[in-house]
Amino acid sequence: MQTLQKQRLTGIGLALPVLIVLVVVFGIPLVQLFLTSLNAPMFSVSNYLRFLQDPANVRVVLQTVQISVIATAACLIVGYPTAYLIVAAPKRLRIVLIVLVMIPYLTSGLARTYAWIMILGDSGLINNLLLQFGIISSPLLLIYNRMALYVGMVHIMLPMMVLSLVSVMLGIDKSLMAAARSMGAPPFTAFCRVFFPLSIPGVRSATLLVFVICLGFYIIPASLGGLGDVMLSNFLASQVTTTFDLVSVATGSFVLLAIAIVVLSILGLDLSGTQGLAAQVPRRSRFARPSLIGWLTRSLTEFSTGFRAKRWTAHRYRPRGEGWLPEIGGKVLVLLVLTYLLAPSVVVIVMSFSSGSYIEFPPSGLSLRWYRSFFGNTAWYGAAWTSMEIGLAVALLSTIVGTLAAYGLSRTSPRLRSTLNVVILTPITIPVIVVGVACYFGLANLGLIGSRTGVILAQSIGAISYVVVIVSATLANFDRRLEQAAQSMRAGPLQTFARVTLPLIRPGIIGGAFLAFIHSFDEVVITSLVSGFSVTTLPLKMWENIRNAIDPTLAAVASLLTVLPMLWLIGMCVVWQRSESKAQFPIPSAAN
Amino acid sequence: MTFQMNRRRFMQTTSSAIAAGALPTVSGRALAASSNELRVSVYGGQIGDAIVETLLKPFEAETGIKMIPITQDFTLAQLELMVKAKNVTVDVAGMEQTLTLTAKEKGLLEEIDYSLYKKEELDGFLDFAKDKYGAGQLIYSFNMIYNTKKYPAGKPRPANWAEFWDVEKFPGVRYLVAGLYGTEGPWEEALMADGVAPDKIYPMDIDRIFASLDKIKPHIRKWWSSGSEIQQLMQSGGGDVMESYDGRALAAIDAGAPLEINRNQAKMTWAHWVIPKGCPNSENAQKFIEFATRGDRQATFVKLYPEGPTNRNAFKHIPADLARKLPTYPEYMANSIPLNGGWYVEVGSDGRTNVERLIQRWNQWILQ
Repeated sequence: MQTLQKQRLTGIGLALPVLIVLVVVFGIPLVQLFLTSLNAPMFSVSNYLRFLQDPANVRVVLQTVQISVIATAACLIVGYPTAYLIVAAPKRLRIVLIVLVMIPYLTSGLARTYAWIMILGDSGLINNLLLQFGIISSPLLLIYNRMALYVGMVHIMLPMMVLSLVSVMLGIDKSLMAAARSMGAPPFTAFCRVFFPLSIPGVRSATLLVFVICLGFYIIPASLGGLGDVMLSNFLASQVTTTFDLVSVATGSFVLLAIAIVVLSILGLDLSGTQGLAAQVPRRSRFARPSLIGWLTRSLTEFSTGFRAKRWTAHRYRPRGEGWLPEIGGKVLVLLVLTYLLAPSVVVIVMSFSSGSYIEFPPSGLSLRWYRSFFGNTAWYGAAWTSMEIGLAVALLSTIVGTLAAYGLSRTSPRLRSTLNVVILTPITIPVIVVGVACYFGLANLGLIGSRTGVILAQSIGAISYVVVIVSATLANFDRRLEQAAQSMRAGPLQTFARVTLPLIRPGIIGGAFLAFIHSFDEVVITSLVSGFSVTTLPLKMWENIRNAIDPTLAAVASLLTVLPMLWLIGMCVVWQRSESKAQFPIPSAAN
Repeated sequence: MTFQMNRRRFMQTTSSAIAAGALPTVSGRALAASSNELRVSVYGGQIGDAIVETLLKPFEAETGIKMIPITQDFTLAQLELMVKAKNVTVDVAGMEQTLTLTAKEKGLLEEIDYSLYKKEELDGFLDFAKDKYGAGQLIYSFNMIYNTKKYPAGKPRPANWAEFWDVEKFPGVRYLVAGLYGTEGPWEEALMADGVAPDKIYPMDIDRIFASLDKIKPHIRKWWSSGSEIQQLMQSGGGDVMESYDGRALAAIDAGAPLEINRNQAKMTWAHWVIPKGCPNSENAQKFIEFATRGDRQATFVKLYPEGPTNRNAFKHIPADLARKLPTYPEYMANSIPLNGGWYVEVGSDGRTNVERLIQRWNQWILQ
């Protein structure tokens, strides 16, 4: 009992750095904002009543939830099989596929939104092609509607879904599937009974992450959606721009936060849910928090049991008897998903070589002038360099403290874990503009407005959330008994962590660090507030460019961001391949 | 209902209380304390380049004050945050008139010191350009734009907003400015389309605006919300008749787009040079604004970027063919309506400004 308590205390201790950063930079001002929305010190809910009395607000809240649910569902339906197929692929192909899924991430979100306009627009790629071949006589209305909104949103969120699922699925022991099949389970049954239940914690946290981020979208609805396709953040953003009425902005934001909390509790807040088999039994008996997904799986399982029993005799275990249909189907699916994910990046790269003075597709002529415009301007490459430095610092800081926190949280009691998870997820749950305002006050308190340290801290707030979610998901599949085994062999806690835990959760940590870096590298709203007009990052420069000019320098920058990391990765792969062919026996890898 | 009456003031006190509570230790900006430099928000893109070339560089050459252009968006939120946090990192900025008035109401601006100005220049200022808290920067307008492929000169085309609303007589793809920010929106256009005389627009009847917008709603392909967006749309060639800023339309025409500006029933508005409250370099900031609003300076700026000067003396230095491109050309001015920023920031009996009311109505209307 004492050891358990001690373990929980260490758990909290490990989460402490995250909590300190969160509270100082963001927590205190956020609480102040909350008190303001409650009219402290008089305390009343009149602001909330007024918010809900406006029919437009109620409708937009419902619409925000609806859009987020549909976008998340679409990501899950497409993302799960994709992630599964990626994990099932041979190692080298798997790495290539993972890199391909990551590429859209590297192409700035702003540039990708432009690319969708170029693809779906009235005189865009698709309409031009169809008109040219005489299939249609007037442009199809592909853009400025709900469908275009979903296309854009899913495009932004799908890589996150796939990458989180991949990092979890890589942690699932493949031999369990083989074992199930050796006992006569057909592939699909083995998948349903063994693999799928093991992947549920990952599905849950990835879905949660995607849903919560969807709630805060506003650039995509404004540029791809129709007049009525707005989300709550669009309303808040326009209030911030014109009246900057802090109270109603705060009220709206806490409504959004409340929605996120409700959803988090329905899906089960416990990001690092089932730990080992022993922990699972007592959790089942807890009826306090029924989980929708758990209920669904259970009922489906029970329903199919009788059916399976009949089939058992007919289909004994036959290795490699998967049939051609699923295999072809899988390939087609992966191909379609990759086309969808990569098309905007390709469009951006092609646009960047345009010789025209505005963004157009296809370009009327080819030239390198927009690359010259980038490299000939200190403002551009200076901003790129600043962003790189800040991004690395953010990734480093948030990966370290985020991993510690996720590891610590996995050792605390489920209830405490749930609460702290909400706290840590707040920065990506509430509208980014409110995070920005809160950070502004927090950093002003520390005298850090307009400094790089300030920008790094403000960006780390959100980056930490990503790291914690992904590492927690990986930890959910981590067998705690391996640590106990190591410790029984007299390994110290630090040694156990470094030699056993760390290698096993490495995919999650790498995924988290990547997301943290990208978060920093694509962040506009918070940075523009806390930079105090003194620190110019690349996204700020790009945003400024997009607001004022429409020249393709933006496309050139986005292409460089896409292509350079790819070249680097290819280089790495070549080096890696050489060193691997020299090695006598396979290097033990956590990923397998 | 006393609460409703006091809501506005209450909000202001609480939000400043937050700022004050968050700031017990810091005073003054750490990075740009009073110094021999001036940080000027110049918008960005082509207009930013023009301001740097024609105003910042010559002022630096004349005074030796180091001029630092800021090309990021400068929003009301940023102004309020930096003033309340007593951490003013922008010394001079350009601001649209409604925002200037809002900022003035919130006490976020320094007064302009008109004692520095020559009488001759001050006499040249248009009336609105001499605001106590902002000196006129430039004049721009919202115009109806034709795609000359669909509506070439000489053939019948919509001449005013009532005809723009007439989708039977003048079919085609239409773009109109969105009203999400309240300050800019198709409000005046909707009233004119509904038959309100251009000189009877203010005070605007909000119900009538939205009744008129109901009629055009299904026929608008895109409600745009930023200058780059409408410029992109105009250049892609998909639109037939649309609304745009004059500057963006001129830029698109310069880039070869087949467009023509209809100056009739244009909506004219302007921006001011302002100084944030608590600016540590206000003395130099005042000097710069005086410099930037001189007639000859405005003329050099207009030559690089065609927006209307606020100082009539500028026309002495502007060639006639360029003057014809500007929204301030007398013939155009006679058929334009000036946007009445005062009406927008007027506070009603419920404690809300007309901007806030328009935003609320817009939000309800788009979700219908």
